[in-house]
Amino acid sequence: MNNYFLILFLIVFGSAIQAQETAMNTSEIASFKEKVIASAKMTKSIKTDFVQYKHLDFLADDVKTSGKMIFKSPNLVKWEYTNPYQYSVIFKEDQLLINDGGTKSKVDIGNSKLFKKLNQLIVNSVKGNMFSDADFTVSFFKSSKYNKAVFIPKDKKIAGYIASFELLFNKEDAQVYEVKMVEPSQDFTRIVFSNRTLNITINDSVFSN
Amino acid sequence: MIRFLAISLLSIFVFTSCSLKTTEGLRQVHFNKAEVENLYFSNPEIDYVYKAKIEIYKKNFGGILIIKKIGPESHRVVFTTEFGSKLFDFQFEGDTFTKHFVVEDLDKKFIINILKDDFKLLVNESAMVLAVYESKTQRVYKTQNEEQFNFYFFEDRQEKLEKIVNTSKTKERVEIAFTSSMGKIADTISIKHNNIKLKIDLEKFKEE
Repeated sequence: MNNYFLILFLIVFGSAIQAQETAMNTSEIASFKEKVIASAKMTKSIKTDFVQYKHLDFLADDVKTSGKMIFKSPNLVKWEYTNPYQYSVIFKEDQLLINDGGTKSKVDIGNSKLFKKLNQLIVNSVKGNMFSDADFTVSFFKSSKYNKAVFIPKDKKIAGYIASFELLFNKEDAQVYEVKMVEPSQDFTRIVFSNRTLNITINDSVFSN
Repeated sequence: MIRFLAISLLSIFVFTSCSLKTTEGLRQVHFNKAEVENLYFSNPEIDYVYKAKIEIYKKNFGGILIIKKIGPESHRVVFTTEFGSKLFDFQFEGDTFTKHFVVEDLDKKFIINILKDDFKLLVNESAMVLAVYESKTQRVYKTQNEEQFNFYFFEDRQEKLEKIVNTSKTKERVEIAFTSSMGKIADTISIKHNNIKLKIDLEKFKEE
């Protein structure tokens, strides 16, 4: 009976078990961090497609949007949504340059500490190199498929918006392939990257509105 | 002289109170139904998802508006940024309003009241008819909204809801205009305020 139950359990939860995560030990953490930091240092530019899933518990389906993300070292980032609508945001110094289907606007974020923090998160999460951020408690997990870093904000104000922030890394090249932002309500936003090209030349004019 | 003045004042009052431009050019007709319905958000199977553009005092914001019918008389209305962070999360159940979440910057009483009134008007499914008006192409139903009124404009032939106008006794306050190719789901929605410079444009996500 016990065996029968075990087999049933394995069939139902088999796939979950395959991807089961365990916490990394101290030496694993050290070598993982080293690998990510080295990879981030080598990364001068990133061009990648992404799909964003907004999960709200009461919805039948996640809200799906997609587009392209372009990063140029040290801190230029452009998020461009192309489906189902045209919308782009450029993170440039203390400004956000927005193009909402042709309506262009500029937002100064220099004054808002919280906003700055959130944007810094986005920029750093693209590279994966945010372990030294003093505002978060970081924990590390591994599975057969990925390495995972989970960031939990220490600041109460940030914690009001983000319960945790998760980055999934490829095992081979230590690049981020998925970002998940979990809200205090447990609703979340998941961004999955694909078709990534590294270190191609990207003109600065890409980052102007 | 005093009597003349009194009559003039009275007549000004009477005329202005009748001068709501919403019903100009329309003629009042007999009731043909007791309740008027807005069925654009009435299917609990559908996630109603819209790209939103908001213009307030010449400043522009964007985001995603999500509406879902979650009970017989209950709607959830959530607004997020394009990146998915929630800006507000409301629930309307009959006359009960629940604020599940609002970002700090928006959490001011007068802002919440505007948003509450607008989205209640948008998702409210039925109301008692007070009067009915007609033109050649439209049929208009007047309903009570506390101290105010709502006018539901239907395209006459297909009974398609084209706009809702919220008014005080004398002035138009908010207008919600719909376009719908199929008649069941609104493709675009435009919410325009007359007393404050606020405009919300919504465009339905394209089906994949």
